[in-house]
Amino acid sequence: MPFFRVIRWVAWKDLISEIRSRETISSMFFFALIVILVFSFSFSMDQSETRELIAGIIWVAFAFTGIIGLGKSFSAELQNDCLEHLQISPASKGAIYLGKLAANLLFMLIVEIILFPMFVIFFNLDVVEQLPVLLLIFALATLGLSTVGTLFSAMTVQIRAREVMLPILLLPLAVPVMIAAVEATRGALNGSPIAMYGNWLQLLAVFDVVFTVMSFWVFEWILDS
Amino acid sequence: MINAMIKWMQRYEGWVGAGGALCLLAGLYLSLVASPPDYYQGEVVRIMYIHVPLVQTAMLAYSVLFAGSLWYLWKRDPIVDNLCHAAAGISAFLTAAGLITGSIWAKPTWNTWWTWDARLVSFAVMFLILVGYLMLRTFVDDPEREARYAAVLAIVGFVDLPIVHFSVEWWRTLHQPLSISMRGVALSGEMLRPLIVMSIGFSALFVYLLMVRTQMLYLTRLLHAKKGRLLSHAHLSDLDT
Repeated sequence: MPFFRVIRWVAWKDLISEIRSRETISSMFFFALIVILVFSFSFSMDQSETRELIAGIIWVAFAFTGIIGLGKSFSAELQNDCLEHLQISPASKGAIYLGKLAANLLFMLIVEIILFPMFVIFFNLDVVEQLPVLLLIFALATLGLSTVGTLFSAMTVQIRAREVMLPILLLPLAVPVMIAAVEATRGALNGSPIAMYGNWLQLLAVFDVVFTVMSFWVFEWILDS
Repeated sequence: MINAMIKWMQRYEGWVGAGGALCLLAGLYLSLVASPPDYYQGEVVRIMYIHVPLVQTAMLAYSVLFAGSLWYLWKRDPIVDNLCHAAAGISAFLTAAGLITGSIWAKPTWNTWWTWDARLVSFAVMFLILVGYLMLRTFVDDPEREARYAAVLAIVGFVDLPIVHFSVEWWRTLHQPLSISMRGVALSGEMLRPLIVMSIGFSALFVYLLMVRTQMLYLTRLLHAKKGRLLSHAHLSDLDT
């Protein structure tokens, strides 16, 4: 099968099964709501403090929810031996990776787009003018989390203690993504000009390119029975 | 290939170990007794002769792990996998020791145990990646798959570290500039000499530990394989009777 058709079919398959079961997105969403709730109890939010903390809270919530979605991405393949079928399929392993990546990216972005208004409401943010740049930050940083995350999801699904190992492997590697995402989001929410935090967007773009290429290349050794 | 490598290790490990021990003894004398105290830092500077070689050797060990992982994915030599496993364990230990000695040095000089500085954070991340690597290895049942996954993780982590360093450097940094860099050496000869001797000593210690540990892991694998064969044999003969 041609390379791009494999990507499309793998992503499409994940999308269809998500539309039918609604498992991943709903569990991610409610988990994120609980994270927001816990944060609002943990810090008594005044208007002035909120501005400094909110970017970090948003990204902690997004990263934790992302881990839930990423973990489900490949553990869903365990049913009916779907994983083995992916392993023995003659399709390019890189294309399978890109298809899974596309689906994961999409799920995470959908959840983030539903969640962000909650942050705006609960923490009383003023974001209308910054929306395009915020969306760009979300897209770049979420791609960064999901490139490495998809790779490690495929790796940890085939080992013991997978729920523990995914965050343990993913979060240290995602340190640059988290720093850049938080700094850029803080800049955007404070209404600073984009020149003040543009270099963080560049860093995110570099991370995305490096790890998409690299995961694409090494995936062959992960999804190999 | 495997036998040649093991034989080579058996022949030279004693020499490397003895050489390393001599270097470390000489280096300890040079750094603790013969070298002068620092103009600004006083006697405190002497921890540098432990801290800097520890950190250098930890990075050397991770580089060996990285090169070995590439080699493993290319050639699939089980002994190279044992070598990587050994290098990762030693690197994790050296990184932890480097972080602790660094903390002890930071308290009198920076007046804090820990700070969110580029080199500190990237080193802490390196420690976490190595611990993740060692944990991952314990959770995979199939030895061939374990080796493959571990190699991929080591390579991905190695590529990540410069990006971590760079991102934290932008974020905030406090570290003193490197004393030895591409632009030359900013240390007096009296302090540089013990540092070099200690670095050689620690590197030799690393190579020695690497040789011993690789053989140990190789023998363990051999033992498991033999035990498995014996067990399946016993099982089969049970079925016969």
